[in-house]
Amino acid sequence: MPVTLYHWEPNANSGKPMLTLAEKGVAYESRYLDLLQFDQHKPEYLAVNPDGTIPAMVHGSYVLTESTPMMEYVDDAFPGPPLKPADPKARWRMRWWMRFFDAYFAPSLSMIGWSIFVGPAARHRPEAELRAAIDRIPLEARRIAWRKALFNEFSAEELAESKRRVLFSTRVLEEHLGRHEWIAGDTFSLGDINGFNLGYALPLSQPDHCNDDKTPRIMEWLRRIYERPATRETWAKGRTPLSARISMLERRPHA
Amino acid sequence: MLELYTSEPNTFFLKPLIALAEKQATFILHYFDAARLEQFDPRRPECTESRLHLEREGPVLVHDGTIIVSTFFMLEYIADALAGPALMPRTAYDAYRARAWGQYLGAQLGSIVPVLGCARYLRRRLAQLDAAALAARVAAIEPIERRAGWQALLDGSYGETELEAQRHRLRAPVGRIEKALADGPWLAGPDFSIADIDAYAMLTVLPDLAPDVVNPQATPRVLEFLGRVGSRPSVRDALATSRTGRPAEHFVPGVEASRWG
Repeated sequence: MPVTLYHWEPNANSGKPMLTLAEKGVAYESRYLDLLQFDQHKPEYLAVNPDGTIPAMVHGSYVLTESTPMMEYVDDAFPGPPLKPADPKARWRMRWWMRFFDAYFAPSLSMIGWSIFVGPAARHRPEAELRAAIDRIPLEARRIAWRKALFNEFSAEELAESKRRVLFSTRVLEEHLGRHEWIAGDTFSLGDINGFNLGYALPLSQPDHCNDDKTPRIMEWLRRIYERPATRETWAKGRTPLSARISMLERRPHA
Repeated sequence: MLELYTSEPNTFFLKPLIALAEKQATFILHYFDAARLEQFDPRRPECTESRLHLEREGPVLVHDGTIIVSTFFMLEYIADALAGPALMPRTAYDAYRARAWGQYLGAQLGSIVPVLGCARYLRRRLAQLDAAALAARVAAIEPIERRAGWQALLDGSYGETELEAQRHRLRAPVGRIEKALADGPWLAGPDFSIADIDAYAMLTVLPDLAPDVVNPQATPRVLEFLGRVGSRPSVRDALATSRTGRPAEHFVPGVEASRWG
């Protein structure tokens, strides 16, 4: 059965199934949706995913729309190298950390990213056009998010709290990688794919807090994932400067 | 050795008790009274993950020295690691559906139901404690996200307007479950699974807490589902661990609502 993946840049939620499919060696038909053009709220996509969120994966008659469970599906449904540890305790750790990334770290990091990048990048159109675009969003929570991003409605307190959580999460992750080589333990897993999509640009977005001096373990972990062939292949599908940020993980010879 | 640190069998605490009973697992139950904040006893087992409290409050499972927290993943762990009947759907797609339900309902029901329950029942219990001592204990709770769940009960955040907003938020996840149950008796495929345990533990209190949302006219399938799950011997065994006889009146602060609004 063919696989079709509807996605934006290899970044955040879209990048999770893209990198998982690449690691498993599963070929897929790529349908690129431009988030900044609101492609994900157009009728042709809403026919695939009525919630209007990306990514979405179609495998035969199955439609999958939640990116983290989607990664587990890819690992379960296709042959290829296993991306979940064999030990149930390590599998639990992998899942716990994916929830920490998805529910705690990512929303704060993305609030900062949307206020700095997504909002300004999509904001240049007439206000009436933007408001009509927001009205077409099916989920109330996503309408609120887009309204905040497009009309710069994030409060200083919200952004300060997001910044605090990003720094706290970065410290917690650095400590975790001091105890384990990979997110789940001894082996590369979906937890690393999830965390990489969240954090590959942290050294660029948080240069004072995520760097070789303060977070050497995160830096080494990101570089190890960056050097995997599947990561190179996946990020080559990016079309914007957003995904091009990954090149800063290139190891530079010591002077 | 398998040990469960838990409180009255309701919401988060009910989930692993049902799964362990389905597996007919032997375990040691360490009971604490969450309404008296006994879970903050520093002698309880802790690890990095348990100290971060993604769900703010809930049970702790210790299996041969490894600490397992976060209730949906605890259910998946019990399904995965213990012998007994399968609780995880058998096909990859049905397993996806179970995990997608766990993620969605964890964020939705996991944040809404505890607010409604705490406002009605826990606040009353906390009012019986010494106010100054309680305030001091709450002020010492770490991390601050966990503290905020308790602080909201002391500072009057849950007024009628807020509770009405929570009941409004409840309509989307309950509606989604009602619609899904039109396709069959269980949420993730042809068999009973951890998705049903996860949903049941949160839905079962809603006819009491939000009768305008969950009632025979609006949600007949949800009520049938509650009857179907509730008649399982595992649920009866889980509820039998109650020491108050009224587990459905015991709540703890739940998952933090999305900060995006």
